[in-house]
Amino acid sequence: MSSASAVPSDQAPPDKLLFTDYDPGSFYDEMVAADGTPRPFAASMYEKLAGMPLDVFEERRKLADLSYLVQGITFTVYSDGRGTERLFPFDLVPRIIPRSEWDVVERGLAQRVTALNLYLRDIYGPQRILKDRIIPQHLVYSCKHFRREMVGLHVPRDIYVHVAGIDLVRDSRTGQYLVLEDNARSPSGISYVMENRLVMRRTFPRAFELCEVLPVDHYPAELVKILRSLSPRSGERPVIVLLTPGLYNSAYFEHCFLAQEMGIELVEGRDLVVVDDVVYMKTIHGLTRVDVIYRRVDDDFLDPLAFRAGSLVGVPGLMNAYRAGNIALANAVGTGVADDKAIYAYVPAFIRYYLGEDPILANVETFLGSNPEHLSYILEHLPELVVKAVGESGGYGMLMGPSSDKTTVEDFRAQVIADPRNYIAQPVIPLSRVPSFDPATGGMSARHVDLRPYCLYDGDKVTIVPGGLTRVALQKDSLVVNSSQGGGSKDTWVLRGDE
Amino acid sequence: MMLSRIADSLFWIGRYMERADNTARILDVNYHMLLEQPPDTYKLRWDPLIAVTGERARFYKTYEEASAQTAFDFLGFSEDNPNSIGQCIVQARENARTIRDRISRELWEDINGLYHKILKLRDANEDLSRFCDAVKRGGHRFHGVCDATLARDEGWHFVQAGCVLERAEMTARILDVHYHQLLEGPEVLNEARSHLWMAVLKSVAAYEFYKRENTQIEPTRVAQLLLLDPRHPRSVRFNTSALQSSLHAISGSIPGTYANEAERLTGKMHEMLTYDSIDEIFAGGLHNYLTELQEMCRNIGDQITRAYLYYAVTA
Repeated sequence: MSSASAVPSDQAPPDKLLFTDYDPGSFYDEMVAADGTPRPFAASMYEKLAGMPLDVFEERRKLADLSYLVQGITFTVYSDGRGTERLFPFDLVPRIIPRSEWDVVERGLAQRVTALNLYLRDIYGPQRILKDRIIPQHLVYSCKHFRREMVGLHVPRDIYVHVAGIDLVRDSRTGQYLVLEDNARSPSGISYVMENRLVMRRTFPRAFELCEVLPVDHYPAELVKILRSLSPRSGERPVIVLLTPGLYNSAYFEHCFLAQEMGIELVEGRDLVVVDDVVYMKTIHGLTRVDVIYRRVDDDFLDPLAFRAGSLVGVPGLMNAYRAGNIALANAVGTGVADDKAIYAYVPAFIRYYLGEDPILANVETFLGSNPEHLSYILEHLPELVVKAVGESGGYGMLMGPSSDKTTVEDFRAQVIADPRNYIAQPVIPLSRVPSFDPATGGMSARHVDLRPYCLYDGDKVTIVPGGLTRVALQKDSLVVNSSQGGGSKDTWVLRGDE
Repeated sequence: MMLSRIADSLFWIGRYMERADNTARILDVNYHMLLEQPPDTYKLRWDPLIAVTGERARFYKTYEEASAQTAFDFLGFSEDNPNSIGQCIVQARENARTIRDRISRELWEDINGLYHKILKLRDANEDLSRFCDAVKRGGHRFHGVCDATLARDEGWHFVQAGCVLERAEMTARILDVHYHQLLEGPEVLNEARSHLWMAVLKSVAAYEFYKRENTQIEPTRVAQLLLLDPRHPRSVRFNTSALQSSLHAISGSIPGTYANEAERLTGKMHEMLTYDSIDEIFAGGLHNYLTELQEMCRNIGDQITRAYLYYAVTA
């Protein structure tokens, strides 16, 4: 901290500004260099914020919060048994990425998503990669999300992962982006990217004149273009629907938002019925045939006849219709065998194997519980590592070694020993930081961030809306950005150039 | 192309908003009327009001007697009463939230805003009058926002159908319970007769209209207005006619014919209200007539569900 904090508050200069006490600290700060000056590409936004009186900033912050509340953009927390709606905290300081930096990320993501698709096509097809022993067969077959039903099934245009959310972190030591995990099932969060941008445009309209920020609004149009191309009925205007588990799903707002933006019907399982392997929806004037389903329901719940029997959110007979080629699903069934956290360790190998290229984006170093040597390393270094259950997401089933007490570490040790295949471990990455408003001090503090870009694959190329969802750990020193753990989000600005 | 589930939600948004509005009206008018009455008539006067909402049995499970306070508690917010104003608004909001991609942003924000306002008033222990006022204004705004922002497609007609069906039934019920009270209640009510009928007229915003054409408060004239007048937006006939238009707009069948049971029953009910005279109605017994109307409203609701909203699985 600078010495300014020693001044008693009643003598604080009346013109104390947001960045007066700002300390970029020992981590990589994406807006402010170590010497306290703004990075060139972020300078104009920095100057704007640095010159803004606190009360003006506070007022804009309140307006932004209000706009989320009025629109009902909330997520549901079930910890109190009643399901309380909370606002997803939004920080007004944007995360700014210069174009040249983004270009590398974009190429790296495109490469990765292409390889993931080729891998899935192979695994559910000829399985060359297993025969060539690039990845251990047992690791694939033991994956919780491997779907035997998908073997030999032809999916429209050979696309498995239409939408991927690849989580990136930036290592403070090198400034490099690393892939932390892949989300190849139904990643959520894109609605926040678009709403955050909307709110920022309203809150700082002049800043958008100043900085040339690349737009993100075209995401729904790009996605629906891909969905349309999957229709099994040629010639006719395809009927496309978004399948949601319903109002009580935490991402329901996003489902509504996307359906509306894409101009497609938002349906629940009970709105659909399968007759003679054809999917229909129930309208007030009778049954209407459905061609493409953008589903936001997990594999397990998709079809109670094929998967989990008790599912009420699914559609009985859907898998038969899928198998008969009468309906397209996005993402395809079984893509979880690509984003399993143990499989993740092999993605760089997939890239080399399928594309003959070196990976542009590196993985975080990963130790696999299924590998005996790795396992003993994990067990020896447990308090230093981040340990994750392979099939979980959203920050569940996870141990943050350095910040956990002894009992928690020992509990986890027992779990890892009992089922090593189910766990991986990674060193703690010192995440980069971005200035964020701290209501406690009334000024800016550096907070850790990650980034989830959303990648769309149409069978030939990967389209990525510039930026993605920046999640920020709003609590001091925290490295956990999940919304359930006190995380918030920021607007992500990819600039048209480097200045 | 409209999903049955969405039509169902739209229909119920209309019904719940209208139910909240009507409940606030009868609560408010009764309260003001009783401010000028001797205290020993309280029980008599609050009990019929609970009956209007059809939740009498549930009420006496929780409360010993009907007073301004218990009635406000039960009809205002109670989570045990699925038809309390608070619960109606919660339900309307849940339905709107489920289909927010299908309604205008303004309509969603309006219903969501009303919900937050009601919670605030409840937590501030706001008095009955102000609370009811907020709900009534909310009801008016709801109609205004629907009118000004919704496309006139099938969805619009489902909202309308929900509103007018609910309003027709509520008006018939209000009349029925008070009518009952007048004939069967003890002597003490006689002196308050005209006050009671005035309160009834006010609760459906028809007092001014009535006074324009009548100098005396007479039960037959009041009943005529609330049942048969084609001009007042809260009369049963007016709403039946509106329901008929919406149902025909949805099915596309021409007036004078019917495409389903809901349309046939609505047509029949409208016919009754158009050609029955008030003298005939009183001769046959007003209570019988009102019972029949409420029964018809319930059947129509069931038949709308059957025709459009519910699917017996065909697979």
